[in-house]
Amino acid sequence: MSTPVRAPFSEDLISLRDQLPELLPLLEAKSHWYGSIYFERKSTQIFSANLKQTSVSDQKSRGAVLRIYDGVTLFEQATDELDFDDLKTACKKLADRAARAEHSRSASLLRRPYTPPTWKERLAPGLDPEIVSQIPAAATAQTPVHFGIRYEVDPRPLTSAQRLERLRQIISRCQELAPQASLTREDLSFITARQSIAVEESLFVDRESCMSQTLFRLGLTVIAMSGAERSVTRVGGLGGLETTDFTDKDALELLQELRAMKNAEALTPGKYRVLFGPWLTGILAHEAFGHSQEADTCARGRSKAWDLHKNSARVGNEHATIINNPAAFTNGTSGHGAWGSYFFDEEGWLSQEQVLLERGYLHAPMTNLTSALRLGIPRSANGKRESWANGVYTRQTNTYFSAGKSTLNELMEEMGDGFLATSPAGGMEDPKGMGIQVGIHFLQEVKNGKLTGRVFKGPSKGDIQLTGYVPDILEKIMDKSKIDFDAPEADHAQHPFNAAGGCAKYHKEFVHAGCGGPYVLLDQVTLG
Amino acid sequence: MSSKKWNLEALKSALRSDSRIKGWIVTEENTARRERYFLSDSAELSIDQDRETRSQAITLQLMVKLEKAGKQGEITQRLFTDQTLEPQLAVALEAASGTEHQEWSLPAPLPQNEIPLRVSCDPAIAEDLESSMDQLTSKISAAVATRRPTPFNSAELFVSVHDRALHLSNGLTHRSSQSRIYAEAAYSMAGKDSTGAQVSDEFLETTWAVGLRDLDIEKLFDDCSQCAENSVQVSLPDTGKYAVVIDASSLAALFGSAVSQLSSSQKYNRLPFLEPGSELIPAATGDLITLSLDPTLELGGDTTALSDSGLLQTPLELVKDNRVLTSCTDQRYAQYLGCVATPSRGSLVIKAGTAGYDELTKSAPVVIEVLQFSSLLPDPNSGTFSSEIRLAKLHDNVRGEVRYIKGGCLSGSIRENFKSAQFSNTQVRRAHFSSGQSQGFGYFGPSHALIRDVSIVGV
Repeated sequence: MSTPVRAPFSEDLISLRDQLPELLPLLEAKSHWYGSIYFERKSTQIFSANLKQTSVSDQKSRGAVLRIYDGVTLFEQATDELDFDDLKTACKKLADRAARAEHSRSASLLRRPYTPPTWKERLAPGLDPEIVSQIPAAATAQTPVHFGIRYEVDPRPLTSAQRLERLRQIISRCQELAPQASLTREDLSFITARQSIAVEESLFVDRESCMSQTLFRLGLTVIAMSGAERSVTRVGGLGGLETTDFTDKDALELLQELRAMKNAEALTPGKYRVLFGPWLTGILAHEAFGHSQEADTCARGRSKAWDLHKNSARVGNEHATIINNPAAFTNGTSGHGAWGSYFFDEEGWLSQEQVLLERGYLHAPMTNLTSALRLGIPRSANGKRESWANGVYTRQTNTYFSAGKSTLNELMEEMGDGFLATSPAGGMEDPKGMGIQVGIHFLQEVKNGKLTGRVFKGPSKGDIQLTGYVPDILEKIMDKSKIDFDAPEADHAQHPFNAAGGCAKYHKEFVHAGCGGPYVLLDQVTLG
Repeated sequence: MSSKKWNLEALKSALRSDSRIKGWIVTEENTARRERYFLSDSAELSIDQDRETRSQAITLQLMVKLEKAGKQGEITQRLFTDQTLEPQLAVALEAASGTEHQEWSLPAPLPQNEIPLRVSCDPAIAEDLESSMDQLTSKISAAVATRRPTPFNSAELFVSVHDRALHLSNGLTHRSSQSRIYAEAAYSMAGKDSTGAQVSDEFLETTWAVGLRDLDIEKLFDDCSQCAENSVQVSLPDTGKYAVVIDASSLAALFGSAVSQLSSSQKYNRLPFLEPGSELIPAATGDLITLSLDPTLELGGDTTALSDSGLLQTPLELVKDNRVLTSCTDQRYAQYLGCVATPSRGSLVIKAGTAGYDELTKSAPVVIEVLQFSSLLPDPNSGTFSSEIRLAKLHDNVRGEVRYIKGGCLSGSIRENFKSAQFSNTQVRRAHFSSGQSQGFGYFGPSHALIRDVSIVGV
C-alpha cells in the first residue's frame, strides 16, 4: 500500500510555531493557571457562476487565541496582531485581566484545576489509525506533531479561470439535461453553481504538546430554480478535488426534483409513516441527542439529557443509537474525510468516535475543556468555535445514527404506505423541553412500497416540519438501512455517509457539521 | 509574522497606478469586542468564559477591465498589512480577470460636506467598552440575584464596537462606527404538569441592540423567567386553523425576508420579484401595509449615511397601503437595468395599525399568541414559513381563560395569511446582527400582528 499524500504544514508558519511555546510562562504566571495557545489560519476561496456572471471571493482569516484557565473561568485574548512582541503584550494584558478577576470574585466558588495530558496519556487505545500513524514515536512536549488530511487530487494548483470554467460547464449541462426532466430551458429561471475551497491550518500549544493540522475542505453547491421553486444539491468533504465530483446523474436528480416540486400538492397535517434519507436522519440525530448531549448545555442546566443519563432512563428503542465522530476520515463508501472531521479540536484534544446514545440509553455527553471539568466527565474533541475571533463551545462534528442491516428497497417494502423524505430544510433543538423541529423540503408519496410520483409540500406549500417529543420519536424507529443501502452484501464501509452541513448553536455561532447516517424508517410521526 | 509592510495610502496609490484596474472599494474594519458567559455554579453566579477580541479586516473589492465589450472582472479579497502588498494584488488581479460581470461603475463622489452624520454608535460604548461591559455585568448580577420561582441557568453578554472606513476609487472616503450588544438569559422550571407528572423545561430569551438605551436587562431576565415558569403546565394545540398573534421579532423575520422581492437584483437574476404597481399581499382586506427602509433612525440596526458604492442613503418608501411604489436598486443594478439608483439600506419600518394588544388577542373565539418559535425560517422566494411552537398563549375568549401551549407546528404564507392581518398601534425597535456580517438588520414596526387561517398541527 502506497504512503498517502497529506496536506503539509506551511513553511511560513514554522517560526510562529517555534515561538509560541515561549509565551506559555506568561500564561502560567500563577502555579494554578493552565495556559494554552490556539492559532488558526483559514483561506477560503469561493467561485460561483450563474446564468449571468461568474464571481470569485477570497476570504482569509487568521488570528491567535491566548488562554488562561484558573480553575473557575477560562480567560481568552483573541488577536490578529501576530508579531511576537504584540503577542507578548497581549499575554501580559490577559494575565492582568485574569489576576484582577480572580482577586475580585467570590472566594467560595469551587475550583476545578486542570493538568494537561502527556503524549503517553494521549495515546490511549482507541484512537483512529489516521491519527496514530502521524504521531512520531516517543513524542515529547517539544516535538512538533503535524496532522495533514489525506487527499488524492491536489485542490490548490488550478487557476481561477479553470475553476470557473468547470462551474460554467455544470450550468450548461443542467440546461442540456433539462428536457430529460421534462423541463424547458425557459423553465430554469435561475441556476447557480458554487465551489468553495478552503485551506484550514491550526496550531495548538500547551506545556505538554505542540500540534498542528492542515485540512483541505471542499464543497460544491448547485441550485436550480423555476419561479419560486428551488432544488439544491450539495457535495463536499475533506480531501482533494475528488470530494466534489458532480455527475450527470446528480444534475438530472436535481432537475427532476425541481420538476416534481412545480406540481407539488399541499400536505394535510397529521401523523404519517416516513422514511428519512441520510441527510435528514443526520439532522434528526443532531437535533435529538446531539445538542442535548453537549456538555456546556448540560453544565448550564439547560439539558434534560444529563439527568436522563444519570438516571439511566430509556429515551428510544433498540434502533436508537447515535454517534458523534470527529475522526471519520472516510465518508460512507467514499475514501475522503467526512465534512465535520478533524484531527484535534480547538482546545487541542485528539479526535475519537463517541457513542452518545446506545439502544435507547444515554452515555456521557460531548465536552469542551470547561464543561468536562464542571461535570467531572472525560474530555472529548468537541471544543469548537466559529473562528479564532469567537468563543469556544461544545459543538458537534459528524453526528449520525448507527447503521442497520436492511437495504433501501427492503425499507420501502416495510414502509408500505407513507412518504420518502430526502431533502432537508434546517432543524432546531430544545434540549430541556425535549421538543424537536426537523425541516423537510418536500415529501415523495409511497404506496405499497413504491414511489407514486406524487410530491407534497407543507400545508401552505412551504417546508414541512417534523415535530414532537424526542423520546417518542426515537421510540418510533422501525428500522434502519445499511451504509451501502443499495448493495445486498454486508457493509464494508467504516462510517456512514455525512453530508456537508452546518450548525448555528442557539441561532448564533456557525460551525461546519457533518450530517448523515443510514436511511431511518419512522412510524406515525407528526408532519405539518 | 512581522509587522506592517504597507498602509492604506500605499494600497490606494498602487491601485490608482495600475491601468488594468477600472475601480475599487476598500473597507477597513477594526473591531473591539468583550464577551462574558455566565452560569449558575452551586447556586452562585459564575463566569465560565471571559473574552476579549481585537481584529482588523481590510477588504478589497476590485473591478478590472476585460477585452470583451460591456464586461468587467471582479473579486472581493481580504488583504493583510503584514504581507507584501504587490503579490496580494497580483493574485487578486489574476482571479478577477478570470471572472465576467456586466460592466458598471461607481457614481460621482458625494462632496464630504453633503454626507450627513448618522448616529449608529452609542457614545458611552465607544468611549469605554470595558466600563460598559462592567455596567451591564452588574445589571446581570442584580437580575440573577432577584428572587424568582425559576432557577437561573445561564446568560451571555457581548459588547462590541466596529470602526469602519470606506475608500472608493472615485475619491470618496467615509468613516463610521457601530456599537452592538447581544444579551441572552436562560431560566428553567420544574413542576407537575396537568396530569400530575413531574416535568421540567426552560426558556431562552435573546436580544440585540445598538445602544444601551434599547437594552433592558431587567426586563429581559423578568420576561425569560416568566416564560420559563409558564413552560411547565402546557399542552399541545389541537390540529386546525387559527387566528394567530405574532410579535415584532417574527414580523421582522417575515418581512425582512419578503422585502428581498422588492430588490431590483431579483429582477436582473430572474428571481421572484414584485413590480412597482403590484400588491404586496394580493387582495388584502385587513390593515394595508406601508413599508419603508430608513437608514437615518438613531441607533437603528442598519443606520448608515452611505452604501458601499458611495450612494447617499435616505428613507425610501417601498410599499404604501399594500401597493408597491418602487424597487430598491443599488448602483450596480441601476446600471444593469437602465434605471435610477435608489437607497438600498436602512432599518425596515412598518407603519403601525390601529388595534391595541387586547383587541388583537380577543379578535376571535380562540387566538393563539406565539411567544417564541423554535426556528422561524421564511422562504424569501415563496413567502411561506413554518416552525415548531416553542411557547404560546392560547386565548380562549369563549371561556375567558388563557392557557399555555408548547409544541406542534405552525405553517403559513405571507401572501395568504396576511390578507386580513391587523397590526398593533404600538411600534417597537429590534436589531439583529448575523455573525461575520458588517451590515446589520433593523426593524421599527408594530409590536404585534394578528394573522388568520393559519394551519397548526398538534394533536
